Amino acid sequence: MADFETQIRDSQAQVAEAQAKIAAVTQTIDTARQRLDAGESAIDIETATLEDVHKHTDLMNANIAELIMGLDDVTAGFSRDFDEMRNKTGWESVVGWFSDAKSESMRQERLRGASIDDKLQDLIAKSDTIVRLLQGQLDMLNAQKARVETNLTATLSEREETVAALEAVRREVAAMDPAIIDLENRIGVEQDAAARTRLESELAELNRRYNALVQDEQVKLAKSQTLERYIEKGKTWVDSLQNQAATQMVLINKLQTDTKQRVVLYDALTSSLKTAQQQDVAHRINEIGVRTDQEAQTAMAAIGAATNDRMADMMEAHEGQMVFARDILEQKARADERFMRRFAAIVEKHDKNDYGA
Amino acid sequence: MPETPLTDDHATLTDPIAARHYFDAFARITGHLARVAAELEAEGTLVRLEARLLAAHAGRLAASFRALSLKYLMTGRVEGPLPGAPAFDRVDSGFPVAQELMTLAIDAAQAEASLRAMPPAAELKDRMVRQILNDLTVPGRLQFALSQRLYHEALVAGGLFLPRNDPEAQWVEDTGERRRFLVHWAVYDTQANLPLVYLMDLEDSGATALPADPERWPQAQAHLVAQSLGGLKLLTIAGGFDADVPDLHPKRLRRITLGPMHSHRFTLQSGPIAEVLRAADAPEAEDWALVWTIEDLTSAREEAAGRAGWFGRETVRQIWTLDPLAGAETGATAMQRMMILPERVAQVLAEMARPGLAPYRKFVVGAGGRLVATR
Repeated sequence: MADFETQIRDSQAQVAEAQAKIAAVTQTIDTARQRLDAGESAIDIETATLEDVHKHTDLMNANIAELIMGLDDVTAGFSRDFDEMRNKTGWESVVGWFSDAKSESMRQERLRGASIDDKLQDLIAKSDTIVRLLQGQLDMLNAQKARVETNLTATLSEREETVAALEAVRREVAAMDPAIIDLENRIGVEQDAAARTRLESELAELNRRYNALVQDEQVKLAKSQTLERYIEKGKTWVDSLQNQAATQMVLINKLQTDTKQRVVLYDALTSSLKTAQQQDVAHRINEIGVRTDQEAQTAMAAIGAATNDRMADMMEAHEGQMVFARDILEQKARADERFMRRFAAIVEKHDKNDYGA
Repeated sequence: MPETPLTDDHATLTDPIAARHYFDAFARITGHLARVAAELEAEGTLVRLEARLLAAHAGRLAASFRALSLKYLMTGRVEGPLPGAPAFDRVDSGFPVAQELMTLAIDAAQAEASLRAMPPAAELKDRMVRQILNDLTVPGRLQFALSQRLYHEALVAGGLFLPRNDPEAQWVEDTGERRRFLVHWAVYDTQANLPLVYLMDLEDSGATALPADPERWPQAQAHLVAQSLGGLKLLTIAGGFDADVPDLHPKRLRRITLGPMHSHRFTLQSGPIAEVLRAADAPEAEDWALVWTIEDLTSAREEAAGRAGWFGRETVRQIWTLDPLAGAETGATAMQRMMILPERVAQVLAEMARPGLAPYRKFVVGAGGRLVATR
């Protein structure tokens, strides 16, 4: 697996490219809209372009998902640290052949000085970098969606007007039919030449109007169809943007939940490793210098006090646990489930360690 | 993936009003901390230098929380996962979780660069006016941008309480062959989510004065910070330091835990204080109680501990005084708990007279922020 910095740079480049492509599609939709306003009817949002964008964003999301999974590998460094704290170094083992106590006290001293603060900060910073990357993409998607949606709303109302106008023309055409038939009948029975000529010119006028209306109907029909096609493309695009935004949200959610859990977990582990020292070494050392009778007295009295305290602590802790455990576990399960649904393929690949195979 | 219930007690404030009230409450409470330090100085628990240092740490804490409140000013008001929502430890401490402060430290490290990339406040406001007048919409995004700018400005201004505030040494006096120093440092405990301030009186028998010694001082600093866990007893910390760092003799170690904060509205603690707050049913400004603990460990005497190696110098080790009753459990000579609380809550507390709260020293905040120390 490539190192984190390279991967971040790759993803940044891919995000930039994906954003350019997405912006280009929105731009095409905008341009088409302007052409429509100018009266042109040619629309060239090719389905191929949309598919290209989809293919690219899929690639980008896969890469980012891998980055998130890759944080797991970054965190492997922690377990090395923990092992070092738990076990003896080579030199300490060598010393251990001569003196167990000396070797153990060397390990204790090393443990006292150990700190994982910088690693924790590093983990938070890295996860923050990815969140910012995703957030940038999400903001862009939302902005694009808003733009296309305003555009669509305007187009929808325009199409409504066009359809209404088309209906009106059709009604007018239908209304003209009886008048024309009536005129034709009257021309058929008219004996007077002058009246007949008048009626015929009236019919000609009516026919001219009829043809004009039919032509208008064709134009309106064409416009309505163009608008419909445009709306369809626009809707597909909005759907696609919506879907992409959902994907970004899932990624962000997963990442934030995981990082939160990790920081707390690693920190708790370090604490427990360090707290172990007070059970075995520090206290015994102090007690050497203190008088034995005083010590016994202390221990006896302490047992009573400590038991009470522990009981109280346990009960308080238990209550808190009960209230929140269900809530958070559910949240985590939901985040995981959403992530798995969307990135099943990558998770599988990661688990099999099957990169570039 | 870690499958742990470790973040169960973290609660997120997604409601913008609740988040603002939460930080308001903190601004009020941290304001009283410096006054309590002054009060402790007046009655002789702390000397002037210690009171001043404690007040300084409390001031930094207030600055950090103020910065956080700016960061989360637009919580729940803009779409998307940023600005996020403040998470705080609802069960134990009532303070923001340690990760908030870790993130703050990371942000602070790059605050200047981020600030350069942001438009100035005047321009943002100008754009807001334009958006309001031209588009007749609420400029949420711009408000968010401005809140982030203010947050970064607060970070650049500095004086913050970070998750780790490295030890500083203050010279006190020379006593014969030794120099006395007061070393103070503070950490935000990641397990309990509480700020801890440490004060250590130590004697230095080295050839070079401690803060000027490039060999021992960085080692001592790193050691103290790595051992500053809330879960470690003072005895463990002081004993380990005494053994690991040459020529330094810790004489007294104090740990001041600033918290937990109780509030009927925000936190879910159980126990007598929570009951008192529930019974008090106080208005928002008076619905809180801040408990703080001073743990104190003093050295009883020094004993010779043999030579360091075959040809090394004689070393000495401290024997610590432990509380005869609870010493084995607390690892300290004395432990004093105190509580700062508003008048109304104090009244209910006095009426309910819970035996569990009797040993607490109480500082009652009266009208106009007056502080009355009571038993």
